[in-house]
Amino acid sequence: MIKQLLALDGMLVICHFRDDGTLVEGYGLMGEDMMQRLAKFAHDYKRMVQGNTDQFSMFTQLPGWAPPRGWNVRGAQYTVCSVGNLVCFIDNAEASLNEVMRELDEAASY
Amino acid sequence: MSVFSELAGMTGVIAAGEYSYRGDRYNFRGQLSEDMARMASIMCRATTMSTHMQSDILCANSDNCPFEEAHGWVVKGPQFTVCVMANVFCFVSNEPGVFNRIFKRMRDSLMDAPDVQEMV
Amino acid sequence: MSSLDTLMSLEGASAAFEFSATGELTGHRVAEGSSLTPESLDLLAHVFVANIAIATMQARGWESSTGQGGFYPIQGFTLVGFEWSTVGNGHRGVVLRNDVADFEAAYAALES
Repeated sequence: MIKQLLALDGMLVICHFRDDGTLVEGYGLMGEDMMQRLAKFAHDYKRMVQGNTDQFSMFTQLPGWAPPRGWNVRGAQYTVCSVGNLVCFIDNAEASLNEVMRELDEAASY
Repeated sequence: MSVFSELAGMTGVIAAGEYSYRGDRYNFRGQLSEDMARMASIMCRATTMSTHMQSDILCANSDNCPFEEAHGWVVKGPQFTVCVMANVFCFVSNEPGVFNRIFKRMRDSLMDAPDVQEMV
Repeated sequence: MSSLDTLMSLEGASAAFEFSATGELTGHRVAEGSSLTPESLDLLAHVFVANIAIATMQARGWESSTGQGGFYPIQGFTLVGFEWSTVGNGHRGVVLRNDVADFEAAYAALES
């Protein structure tokens, strides 16, 4: 199912990971080994974002932040985006970040 | 006696506690309110998860990495220091000699505690 | 003696390094026989910048939520490995062997 997301402009890699950080499936321009590492990184990063969001909510008492739905980190050429247990790599020059985040959100809720 | 209870009884320790890697459970002893201990557990858990990710990245491309596993971390403020090993936290007063003694005690008791990755 | 040489004189020191506000390595010393490379030290420098920023957020939140001061401004962060630890503050860090490390001396040296 997530393979369809590769059709989005600028989508280079899409992976689905388990709650323990192992790779379920991955598609795109990356070897299996790198996809496993991406899955582990996304899992760890998700836990870190969850921790920071919990603290933000705790200190500010503001509703609507926790639990976080996803994150993205934008580099010069590429952006890593994640929602739920999906993570993808996109090319900044070709992809629409809004579209990618929207599609990830939808796919993560399947 | 649990490690955190023992630590809480040591000179210079303001409070000590333990938190679960998953969920919101915690225990503590010392000069913290229940709410402060809950907050401290949430903060310490978050930083522990983060340091584990960082040590994984530090060692991802190295065969001989000195930080293969993050066993703990320390944050120092002007009056207090927070020391965490495994899932045990300790709030320590910055008096001479206190921190080294507490850290050694924590290292001796907790260095062989199961890795976080096995607990989550 | 330079500040890095002072850090290297700490017992069990295997490396001392300095870095920019964003974590790029700007100088370092490595003890003979150490496997630490400038690339590893650059990563450790980024670990310090990241964790001191997070700890600062925590100290600010803690102090305003609880009214208990004494944590802000953050004066250092240590990552504890099995055999080695790295202690950092400001723009400098040092890697120490756990069994002989004097952390209080390390923090004092980093403050000077």
